[in-house]
Amino acid sequence: MIPELGQFALALAMAIALVQSVVPMIGAARGNLVWMRSAQSTALGQLLFVGVAFGALMWAFVVSDFTVVNVAENSNSLKPMLFKVAATWGSHEGSLLLWTLILTLFGAGVAMFGSNIPHALRARTLAVQAWISLGFLSFMLFTSNPFLRISPPPVDGNDLNPLLQDVGLAMHPPLLYIGYVGFSIVFSFAVAALIEGRVDAAWARWVRPWTLAAWVSLTAGLALGSWWAYYELGWGGWWFWDPVENVAFMPWLLGTALLHSAIVTEKRGAFKSWTILLAILTFSLSLLGTFIVRSGLLTSVHAFAVDPERGIYILALLGVSIGGSLTLFAARAPSMEGGGLFAPVSREGGLLINNLLLATACGTVLFGTLYPLFLEAVTGDKISVGPPFFNASFVPIMMPLLLVMGFGPFLTWKRADLRGISQRLWMVAAVAAVAALVLWYLVTKGPVLAILAFGLGIWLFLATLQDWGARIKLFRAPFSESLRRARNLPRASHGMTMAHLGLAVCIFGFVGSSAWKEEIVTFAEPGTEVQIAGFDIRFAKVESVPGPNYTAFRATLVVNRAGAFVQNLYPERRIYPVAQSTTTESSIRHTLAGDLYAAISEPAAETAGDVWTLRVIYEPLVNFIWLGSFMLVLGGALSLSDRRLRVGAPRRAKMPEMAQPAE
Amino acid sequence: MNFWIPAALMAILAGLIILLPLWRRGTAQVGHREGALAIFVDQLKEVDAERVRGVISPQEAEAAALEIKRRMLAVERQGGDGGKIRTGGTAALFVMAVMVPLLAGGVYLATGAPGISSQPFAERAAERGEDQKIVELAERLKARLQADESGGPIEGWELLAQTYMQMGRYQDAVAALAEILDRPDTRAGHVTQYAEALIAAADGIVTQSAAAAIDRALDMDVLNPAAIFYKAQWLEQDGQVTEARALLVLRLSQEETAQPWMEYFIREINRISTTTGDAAVAMSDFVTVRGPSADDVAAAAEMTADDRADFIQSMVAGLAERLQETPEDLDGWLQLGRAYGVLGQSDKALEAYRAAEGLLSTLAAEDPRHAIVAQGLAANGG
Repeated sequence: MIPELGQFALALAMAIALVQSVVPMIGAARGNLVWMRSAQSTALGQLLFVGVAFGALMWAFVVSDFTVVNVAENSNSLKPMLFKVAATWGSHEGSLLLWTLILTLFGAGVAMFGSNIPHALRARTLAVQAWISLGFLSFMLFTSNPFLRISPPPVDGNDLNPLLQDVGLAMHPPLLYIGYVGFSIVFSFAVAALIEGRVDAAWARWVRPWTLAAWVSLTAGLALGSWWAYYELGWGGWWFWDPVENVAFMPWLLGTALLHSAIVTEKRGAFKSWTILLAILTFSLSLLGTFIVRSGLLTSVHAFAVDPERGIYILALLGVSIGGSLTLFAARAPSMEGGGLFAPVSREGGLLINNLLLATACGTVLFGTLYPLFLEAVTGDKISVGPPFFNASFVPIMMPLLLVMGFGPFLTWKRADLRGISQRLWMVAAVAAVAALVLWYLVTKGPVLAILAFGLGIWLFLATLQDWGARIKLFRAPFSESLRRARNLPRASHGMTMAHLGLAVCIFGFVGSSAWKEEIVTFAEPGTEVQIAGFDIRFAKVESVPGPNYTAFRATLVVNRAGAFVQNLYPERRIYPVAQSTTTESSIRHTLAGDLYAAISEPAAETAGDVWTLRVIYEPLVNFIWLGSFMLVLGGALSLSDRRLRVGAPRRAKMPEMAQPAE
Repeated sequence: MNFWIPAALMAILAGLIILLPLWRRGTAQVGHREGALAIFVDQLKEVDAERVRGVISPQEAEAAALEIKRRMLAVERQGGDGGKIRTGGTAALFVMAVMVPLLAGGVYLATGAPGISSQPFAERAAERGEDQKIVELAERLKARLQADESGGPIEGWELLAQTYMQMGRYQDAVAALAEILDRPDTRAGHVTQYAEALIAAADGIVTQSAAAAIDRALDMDVLNPAAIFYKAQWLEQDGQVTEARALLVLRLSQEETAQPWMEYFIREINRISTTTGDAAVAMSDFVTVRGPSADDVAAAAEMTADDRADFIQSMVAGLAERLQETPEDLDGWLQLGRAYGVLGQSDKALEAYRAAEGLLSTLAAEDPRHAIVAQGLAANGG
């Protein structure tokens, strides 16, 4: 019964979405307050019913109700409870349901917390949001029903892909989706503003918290995803430029650009059409990502839906939403008033460069991701565009960005004094250059690009600190005075400092772990010894250990340094009999200076005896990536908590009574 | 609990949600003018704060404040939201409050399955016991076959593989059939079953090894219908859709009397025809039809669970009737016993196995059918 209630709830949600996509829009056009206000209750209603559906599906997973095909295909009665719950969004249908849940969550968020947003804008925004959810709800109900039933049910379910049975991954899709899908509300705000024909500084302020919320969770999702890849896939890498990663990264790049360009719109009333365009494109990339992953266009770890019919449906959705919004943009953008003027060297100019570089970087990633698909479609050749392409194209684009990022916060609006800023920053530049040179001296074999990037990271870190120090007069005023200033500084300002520092810290991790990584792959049997980065590692033994729904071969590695025992590492190879697959469970010694990473797998050739393929990697500074990501998220959250984002109208219009004649 | 009661409550709730804006009409709403002005006033304060903090110079602060004030003027000039605030449209909301549950009900009836109840894993212990029995029997049979020094009779492995196929353990079926691929008495049927198991294990993809097995089966028997059926699938997956269809049609036209497998061919041809644009075919195009037509089979596929159970019952009854006329058909009795077993009618299954038991005396001692009958009797309480 419960799965059927879930199905009915989905149908109700779709019917409500249909109402919400029409009524508030007409209400806003005619000035009918009741109709406009209906968007709020329907947005909450949609969340309620999609939530009921999601809960019903989760219930089916928790109790292993194999009359639901989705459960039978993606779960198993022996699976640990946490992964039964996580399996709810592990399949194609389930992840779409999560997608829609988050979509309605953001709609309901605007309905509940958007009390400072003018009613007409809010009504139109929620109507546009309903168009999107209508598209996805109908997609689900008619092509990817999560509640498809089977009777009689199979005895037990097929397992979820064991690679995906991991705590990091269990939390990864929800966070990534909150970010990815969260940009939908920004899109809806943009389309609503285009329909209304009114984009101004106030609009940018209303949209800002929603952009920030989406950005924060997308950042967290990406960081978690790379963390998962790092310790689950067993290659010791944290980013593979895999198309599925790229499609989540592109919205992040454009979303970051949007976050910055919206500041200009908010403060100076400039960049209006550019901000709107970014809002449209960011969500379009989210949709594109969904399409690429869900249509099974690519074959990678993440692409578990292979069904062209669904692909065509999403492609149509994609065409309508992106094509429609861009057409609307083309029609309305020319009539938008220009904003305040500014000199090339100014805060606006700096943010413009930021936007151009981020958009170019995004374009590069888009090209690298889609080119193989187009080539295959046109010529039939299969090629893969991998890290070499992205390292050679993406990285050089990001370097000037780091340079400008150091300057950026010092620039004043309208017109900035470049010479004055240079005087304040020459020390930082000198320190960064010296540090890079010292580094070059220390590791002469290191690649030029890496040293340059590292130097830029130091530059960004110090320049950001210098800006923050200047704002609170650190060391120039008594400490208590600085503390008071720091308290009075808007939270968004602390947020910016934190996020920019976070990026610098990330850069240290990116460069350290990719440029100075050491790796040994060898056949090992008990007694084999390898040396890496000053560690002596002895492969002691392999034993078989039973797990809840797998059997593991666990190796014991004894790690010594300079003759002294450091610790044991226990990498595992897990075999899941039901799903007939295996996973690698790496074992890592974490330190801030670098990770010692070990993984084992069966040798390719079936040689007799106890021979394993042993992979040992030393990754310097790799934890800085996640430390930096955490700082980025924290920075975003700090900005989000800024009081100014919740400014409401002092006076509120009461709705006229029915008896009153219209004015 | 009945499904319809909570569903009706949800439908009513959905209707009320549509009507909600009519209630508490006095709730505060912000017009564009007030909202924007509030933001700009706040921006002015912020500019002032930055001036006090020394982040911007007094001149800059003045310019910024001027700019913000200009924006405030612009908003004032635009006025409110066109001035006209209407109410009304109440009747339309009532209509929608009724339409929403109706529409959802329609969509639900088209996509849902209200008849199927939830069956949480924990509540299915009894059923698992039954399945466990089959698993144990299969394991026992496997152990016996493996212990056999001559490699075990070919029929035994075949039965084991069929059991595995029914259980969905395709890899195990592949392994069982692999045991009998290179015997002197290996027939095309065995090789085809092997290919079938491989394809099932690969989720319907004709893998290279499956393709090799199909070709080998056709070398042994060029007319083997199952081998031709899978050959056609292979061709289709290879993009040779027209050839696949032609192969199936050719094989059908080589037959003069109706055969049970022909229905599958017809369905497959018609499925392929929807992509090639060829006309649909029917059984009567190839042979004089007796018994159920392709339409009947298609209709059976669309039956409800109950109807299908009746249909199966009637087929089983037909088999039982036939065996009354040919009581010496050992394999027929085994089939009947198994069918009754699956249907849960253990007394009738027992009867069938008893009849089979009487025919065992003519068989060689190592014939696996001894074991099958013994298992059948044991499983049904004999």
